[in-house]
Amino acid sequence: MTLQNSVRPLPATEPAPLRIAVAGNPNSGKSTLINSLAGTRLHVGNWPGVTVEKREASFERRGERIALVDLPGTYSLSPYTQEEVVARDYLVEERPDVIIDVVDATNLERNLYLTVQLLELEIPVVVALNIHDEAERMGYRIDVTAMERALGVRIVPTVATKGSGLEALLDAATAAAGDPSRHRPRRLHYGGDIEAAAEALMTEVLRGHPDLAGKYPGRWLAFKLLEGDRRVIDEAGLQGIEPLVARAAEHLISAHGEDVESLMADARYARATGLTREVLTKPDVRKIELTEKIDRIALNRFLGIPLFLAAMWLVFKLTFDVSAPFADWLGTVTAGPFTRWTRVLVGLVRGPDWLISLVTEGVIAGVGSVLVFVPVIFAMMFFITFLEGSGYMARAAFVMDRAMHSMGLHGKSFIPMLLGFGCNVPAIYATRTLENPRDKALTALLIPLMSCGARLPVYILFVAAFFPSRSGTVLWSLYVLGIVLAVLMGILFKRTLFRGDSPMFIMELPPYRMPSGKSLAIHTWEKGKHFLIKAGTYILAVSVLVWFLLNLPWGVEQKKDSYMGTVGQAIAPVFKPLGFGTWEAASSLVAGVIAKEIVVGTMGEIYVPGKAEAPAGPAPSLSEDLREIGTSFAEAGKNAFTNVFSTAGIKSLQAEEDEGTTGLRSVVSKTFTPLSAYAFMAFVLLYMPCIVAAAAFKHEFGTWKWFGVAFIYQTILAWSVALLIYQGGTILGIGG
Amino acid sequence: MGIVDYVLIGLIVGGAFYLLYRSLRKKKGYCHGCTPSGKCK
Repeated sequence: MTLQNSVRPLPATEPAPLRIAVAGNPNSGKSTLINSLAGTRLHVGNWPGVTVEKREASFERRGERIALVDLPGTYSLSPYTQEEVVARDYLVEERPDVIIDVVDATNLERNLYLTVQLLELEIPVVVALNIHDEAERMGYRIDVTAMERALGVRIVPTVATKGSGLEALLDAATAAAGDPSRHRPRRLHYGGDIEAAAEALMTEVLRGHPDLAGKYPGRWLAFKLLEGDRRVIDEAGLQGIEPLVARAAEHLISAHGEDVESLMADARYARATGLTREVLTKPDVRKIELTEKIDRIALNRFLGIPLFLAAMWLVFKLTFDVSAPFADWLGTVTAGPFTRWTRVLVGLVRGPDWLISLVTEGVIAGVGSVLVFVPVIFAMMFFITFLEGSGYMARAAFVMDRAMHSMGLHGKSFIPMLLGFGCNVPAIYATRTLENPRDKALTALLIPLMSCGARLPVYILFVAAFFPSRSGTVLWSLYVLGIVLAVLMGILFKRTLFRGDSPMFIMELPPYRMPSGKSLAIHTWEKGKHFLIKAGTYILAVSVLVWFLLNLPWGVEQKKDSYMGTVGQAIAPVFKPLGFGTWEAASSLVAGVIAKEIVVGTMGEIYVPGKAEAPAGPAPSLSEDLREIGTSFAEAGKNAFTNVFSTAGIKSLQAEEDEGTTGLRSVVSKTFTPLSAYAFMAFVLLYMPCIVAAAAFKHEFGTWKWFGVAFIYQTILAWSVALLIYQGGTILGIGG
Repeated sequence: MGIVDYVLIGLIVGGAFYLLYRSLRKKKGYCHGCTPSGKCK
């Protein structure tokens, strides 16, 4: 019986008596393990009061109810980062029945540092010795029995990516939770001085505060007090205890010449190191690992950046090649059968003409124009997730860090910026991982220049219309334009608004791995689903409102005489020097402030000719429509397959252009030139962040100030860059 | 255009504004960093 078959989701109302907390280092495979254990049952939220992600799942296994909580990935339980505080608070305050500690078998010593701290909490622990297969391939031999003896906990070798060992892991966890007295972890001795000082302090503290005995593990509390952990002192209500702690620590400090915190860290490291030496045997002559071989090239001083750019180019090319036929298919289905069916349905309920027009020219043209790009968004998110899961994105950050650092930028800032390729909003929130408030603000200001998924529909529309044979390259050039401008603006800001040195950047480079299909699917879905939700909310609402603005005053003959057209005509002169000074383009850009996909949705409503009237001639029957949809989908699949292996570009798009297809792409290709189209895409890339990003600025910084700065500089930058592209290109005679 | 049309238009426009308000104001999780409870990463 597989793990997935042996568990069933638990109704949300039932209590979950067995609470399992899953802890571990970042990159230990914890997320994959959690995904394999809980799968779709995982509920993602935030820990109370902070923005660190909280993932939990409740399910039943062999008649036992289990509540699984995924703690943030941490290297230790010291109170320095939000993740560490969250993990520690949960373990100390909630005291789960058992902790599953995910340990990376290829990085035993570093991972055991956290294990040692988890044992201090006196909660039953089960160690998942993860990535065990990779350790074996590297020639590592880990004596599991000796390790179990040394730690006093069950050790279960696992390979989360393959789901191996997970049944045994859950068995061990439930057994440990069922009989905690038998599975109490061993007390690791930190040396006579430390233990004596802790013992003395604990006795003193408990004498004055007997109530703390049941609330905290005594030895752990004594260690924290000795370390001077302010958070624990306050939470335990031990204010004023400092003189007592100082007395207990006095001997330690004088005997060792170090502060207690460093002494404690040394003692824990010593246990982790000692244990690793005891249980781990490495081959005498270390093979040069595959990761090391790849990194010699990927992290090369001269090749690193060109390789990163090449990888991004490949991502865009594959995204376009794979998804464009499906986007075409969706476009055909939306504009054809789906519009016809909707018209019939609205007619059946005797809907008035204006309602038919609202549904077909407003909702379907607006939302439909955006929804056709769903395959593109998901393809892009899939490839980005693949790069993240394979370990390459960490290398990209490392490579870019070196380049950015040399120009005076904060290297760590590149991590939230990379997140910005998916969506700028979580990227702005991710800046809180930066300690320095000025670096945080600077990074947030640069994030909107990272091209998020919402801009993709605009790019794809124009790239397909004007550059079908160079789609990957043009798409890639827009992303690179965003990165280059972010670097330049970073330098400018660093020399004006944010003077000062940037601290060192220390980053872990996980080994290269083949991401599992399940993990790829889950993360791609998490990244891409917001696009679907937006289509059903913002885009739907704006499409309806835009339709009214295009049809008011009621009975208006020409769209340009409508309210929207009037506003568009008033703004259009601003865009004239940029090559797209039409009211249609101006109105779309204004509507796109809500969300950038709406630029395409609004264009769909403005440009696509009226469909309220039923087309002349007999309409195909439902079965004919369904047959056609099925056939064209199969054709799209075939084209996608052919495109990937074709060097000539996107066959389906080229073919469609030859056939003189009508629709938004066709209208756009007549109203723009290649040059003005590129200037327009650059403008969409750079102009002000969407409204949700604006809210993220306010939420994260507590003031509108930084959004104001972003709004002003981006508007100026977008206009200037688009002007430079269009006017420069015109003078040089390119693409006019 | 009769009274029914005007009522229908009012309902549709009101609904669209409400949807927009709910989406923007309460941020019901429209990006992968947001949660259904309205909190963001």
